[in-house]
Amino acid sequence: MQMSGAWDVGLGGLDEDAFLQCCELFLQHARSLDDGWSWGRLNGSDEGFLKKTVLVTGKINTEAPDGTSRPAEDLDMLGEDVQDGGPDDAEGTPAPPSAAAVIRYEYHVLYSRSFQTPTLYFRASTLDGRSLSLEEIWDGVHSNYRQRLLHAPWDSITQQEHPLLGQPFFVLHPCRTQQFMSPVLEAARNQNRSLNYIVSWLSTVGPAVGLHIPLSYATASSEPSGLDPD
Amino acid sequence: MSEAGESPTDNPKDEPSAVQSPPEDIGSNEEKKKIDVLLKAVGDTPIMKTKKWAVERGRTVQSLSLFISRFLKLEPSEQLFIYVNQSFAPSPDQEVGVLFECFGSDGKLVLHYCKSQAWG
Repeated sequence: MQMSGAWDVGLGGLDEDAFLQCCELFLQHARSLDDGWSWGRLNGSDEGFLKKTVLVTGKINTEAPDGTSRPAEDLDMLGEDVQDGGPDDAEGTPAPPSAAAVIRYEYHVLYSRSFQTPTLYFRASTLDGRSLSLEEIWDGVHSNYRQRLLHAPWDSITQQEHPLLGQPFFVLHPCRTQQFMSPVLEAARNQNRSLNYIVSWLSTVGPAVGLHIPLSYATASSEPSGLDPD
Repeated sequence: MSEAGESPTDNPKDEPSAVQSPPEDIGSNEEKKKIDVLLKAVGDTPIMKTKKWAVERGRTVQSLSLFISRFLKLEPSEQLFIYVNQSFAPSPDQEVGVLFECFGSDGKLVLHYCKSQAWG
């Protein structure tokens, strides 16, 4: 599929039609893998989004913001508290106590009309329903991206209201998506090679917040290659 | 494999050498399994003088990314992205050996790398 409309919106973006087409191709492959992705839509609305929920192990703070301890249920999940008190523990450790826990991550991919790019919304909660704080979310950012994201945190993960659901989500802010996508798109354009914008973009940003895209998406969800004229 | 360098070491200033085994090697030299990786720059990203590397199969994308970042002396404000098929970013935890099996051809794995100040 030549996404000819996509090039009009700016070198690193895509228009809404292309977004929907890419999502559809993405979902076709997801269904073949039983990968957990589905299309979310509100009743009576034309707008929709990709969505997926996963359970991962991660770290949560065991001290509530008011200084009290969180319920012990979270601590029993996976055994030992990762910060066992011991004779070597200093008094007044600066880091809040934390423990391993099972965390439910929910990811949504929505189209941003203002930035003309997809946007990754996500939220995370413990199994007993407590939403993770921004601090805990940052704790979960993959080490491969931490240095860069922490360099300008205001520019990357923020908390916003989900445009369709109206609930608080975290967002990977899309303001610079076009900037890092354009070299990839330009190379594809120059070589007359098609790619699925969603696959490229999501594989790039997803892993930072725990979302990994299986390798088979790399070849499955765009136009079959090998037919390009030389 | 005239310019094949050794696997990324902790000291990026070392000239690549085909002789020395990196400390992370498991087992004897005969059991050492490395794959050839060809690194290509995307866009305005600087081109590495040494493009061809012999990398242990078990090395992760993140490890390779860190190596390239140090090699190119990236700023803390810059992020390095690595792509297979020029358009798909494998997970940083992915092993290059697996990438080679899936995307390698002519005995090598071509990886494109791109640095960006942008995120989100």
